[in-house]
Amino acid sequence: MITTFFGQDGLGSSAALVLSLLLGFGFGFALEQAGFGSSRRLAGIFYFRDMTVLRVMFTAMVTAMLGLQLALALGVLSAEQIYFLPTIYGAQIVGGLLFGVGFVMSSWCPGTAAVGLASGRLDALIFLGGAALGSILFNEFYGIVGPLATWGDSGVKFMWAALGVSGPVFALLFSAVAVAAFWGSEWIEKKVAGAGPYLGSPFLKAFSVTILVGALAVALLPPATPSTTATAPAALSEIGMLQAMEAGDDHIDPDALADRLMAGDASLLLVDIRTPAEFAAAHIRGAVNVAAADLPEFLEPRKNKGTVVLYSNWMTHPAQARDALARMGFANTYLLTDGLEGFMQQVLKPVSLRSTPLAEVQAVKVNAWRTFFLGGPQTHAAKTMNAPSDTPRLVETSWLQENLGRMVLRMIDLRLQPAYNGGHIPGSVRMDPEHFRGAVGGVSSMLLPADLIALHLGLLGITPQTTVVLVPTDKLQDATLVGMALERIGHMRYAILNGGWEQWAAEKRPADTLLPAITATEYPMATGADAFTVDYQEVLAHSQNRSAVLLDVRPGDFFSGKKSDEARAGHIPGAVNRSFILDVSTNNAVFRFKPLSELAEAYAKLIPSKDSPVVVSCRTGHQASQTYFVLRHLLGYRRVSWYDGGWAEWASRPELPVETGGG
Amino acid sequence: MNSNSNLPSTGPKPHMNPYLAGVLLGLVLLASFLILGVGLGASAGIARVGAFAQSCIMPQHVADSAYFGAWGKDPLRYYLVFMFVGTLLGGLVSAIMGRRVQPQLERGPTASRGRRIVMALAGGVLAGFASRVASGCTSGQALTGGAMLVTGSLLFLGAMFAGGYAVAWFVRRQWQ
Repeated sequence: MITTFFGQDGLGSSAALVLSLLLGFGFGFALEQAGFGSSRRLAGIFYFRDMTVLRVMFTAMVTAMLGLQLALALGVLSAEQIYFLPTIYGAQIVGGLLFGVGFVMSSWCPGTAAVGLASGRLDALIFLGGAALGSILFNEFYGIVGPLATWGDSGVKFMWAALGVSGPVFALLFSAVAVAAFWGSEWIEKKVAGAGPYLGSPFLKAFSVTILVGALAVALLPPATPSTTATAPAALSEIGMLQAMEAGDDHIDPDALADRLMAGDASLLLVDIRTPAEFAAAHIRGAVNVAAADLPEFLEPRKNKGTVVLYSNWMTHPAQARDALARMGFANTYLLTDGLEGFMQQVLKPVSLRSTPLAEVQAVKVNAWRTFFLGGPQTHAAKTMNAPSDTPRLVETSWLQENLGRMVLRMIDLRLQPAYNGGHIPGSVRMDPEHFRGAVGGVSSMLLPADLIALHLGLLGITPQTTVVLVPTDKLQDATLVGMALERIGHMRYAILNGGWEQWAAEKRPADTLLPAITATEYPMATGADAFTVDYQEVLAHSQNRSAVLLDVRPGDFFSGKKSDEARAGHIPGAVNRSFILDVSTNNAVFRFKPLSELAEAYAKLIPSKDSPVVVSCRTGHQASQTYFVLRHLLGYRRVSWYDGGWAEWASRPELPVETGGG
Repeated sequence: MNSNSNLPSTGPKPHMNPYLAGVLLGLVLLASFLILGVGLGASAGIARVGAFAQSCIMPQHVADSAYFGAWGKDPLRYYLVFMFVGTLLGGLVSAIMGRRVQPQLERGPTASRGRRIVMALAGGVLAGFASRVASGCTSGQALTGGAMLVTGSLLFLGAMFAGGYAVAWFVRRQWQ
């Protein structure tokens, strides 16, 4: 039985890299020997004057194809050891057409251009530069062309399965077509260019016979284990599923699971398909939480690799999920016998409470299980939760998708209600950022006191262990304002999704229209967490003493006093201006924070050092929350304060001084 | 067969019989299946070198970008990059052994240098872009996926030749 690097998830290992280099060496050697270091020769196939490309390519495909089918039929290789490319109809057809045009224009393709360069061909170097540029263009326009690369994604699909024959039989047909193509190519080359060197030669006759006999032998060979050749990567047959069920092959017993988990078996993935609330209450140590509907996507990287065990309280739901997955070609999913309940009874129940006495060896084992699964520093939720410091303050869509179900996550969607109802990230709740503000002490639009914020979060089922991901739309300041609310009660386990909903949707990531199952809790509020909010008296003192950088983030015309929505026009004396809008980039309605390097450079011009006191303000504190987030969390300024009252309050207090102009 | 084969011993040696070269290539591909569990590839190596080059100039932009960003800080530590370097070396050794290292811009006898350079560059950009759309090129999709009998890869192979033959007549001048 062969174990490949892919099969043991080791393609990134140093050994795999060295072997890749060696295999690449063989690849380049063979290409050059075939004459593919010459673009003129490669172009020949498109003008029927030199059909070498066809001969080499089809011979190589037939050789590797028969070898692969033989290895599978003999049982020395199982299908899960191979990474089978997915079929993505749109991407492969459109990409193939475009690639063909590029191929005939340049008369190079990436592999042959490498040996062309090695042979001193200047046009190969130009091609390679162009290909790198083309890749960069793909990345730059990924927002537009990215969906094309996944258009028509249909998973692993084999041509032989579509035709209703076995792999070896299809390989035989393919070999016959290849042999016909060899003869045809010799004939056409003779007609067009007077060449066709092997037409009717003893060599080609012998070669053709060898291929056909070899292909026939592979096709007639009885498959060693039917499941590895004909069915493993494709869907299991219904009969096969029933047989597996009858034999109990689709189950894993609680004690076997417990032993493998304790041994730290990395090939094992335990998936809890219950609701996040149930998962948060208690789960088997080491499990990840994934909704049943998200399983195919979540498990795709693990398809037919290692062991995946599904569980819920009992067995019905995991059994249904497993059968659905098996029909999609996942041959490596198992159920936990008797579910979580069975695990509790068989693994976790104390020896003293068991109805039948246990042998001493078994009792020792149960105690070891209990220590591992119940005791120690990692009790129920701890293992799957990242420490706050592990959670980046600004996360990308890929991070979020990867962590959906792995952590105790709660997304707060900040769009309008109809937009949320039309589709949202699974597990999101919708909230209006204005829910966290109100008139406080006569000043409008102030962030609510900590106890009211805690009450709101409790209603959303958020506990201090929840990692909150804020999902903005076109206003990043909506997310940062809610961030201020979270920070006021000391909830630092939060992140903002860069690019927000628009980017998530543009990348066609999972979405649903379901309301999440939420159990309201009482959020234990921490007092004294808010050391960053300052009032007008502190700001006045800074203004008079010039003891802090007063950063007004309103648009320039409001700063200078040209425009005004408030009692008086202008700004706090001594303040400097940088509009919050300048920190955001827009591309196709996706709003993202600008690259850190750009932000760092801009603020370095306004603020002397990372330890300089800074007070950010705007009209009502909303826009300033965004600049606060940028300075405090993205750029690491340590002494940033937030004047929530802002210009709305300052302008309404006639005793406070006002400056105009500048900006 | 090869017009150069009758030159004195200082000239390039003839190429290998294409069918035997194909068997050699197929055995390398089979070895890759059995050892690595994946096939051969070339375009991903080029794309990663492109990502690396761009990140030397604008690191933050690349790190923030949606496609290259996912390749992390060190896009070159990837098996297909190593395979690409191996391909260059294997090609070099074979070309030296065959006395076929000849610095030149290959083109038709009456075609201008400029025409060939523009064609090679434009074709390269298109091929580089298309190979990212399809996640592979002649090696990674057509050859590898074809040998695996994957439906989409066989469609890629067909589409590739369809695209090539459709345009061949319009770009023939560079070889005349």
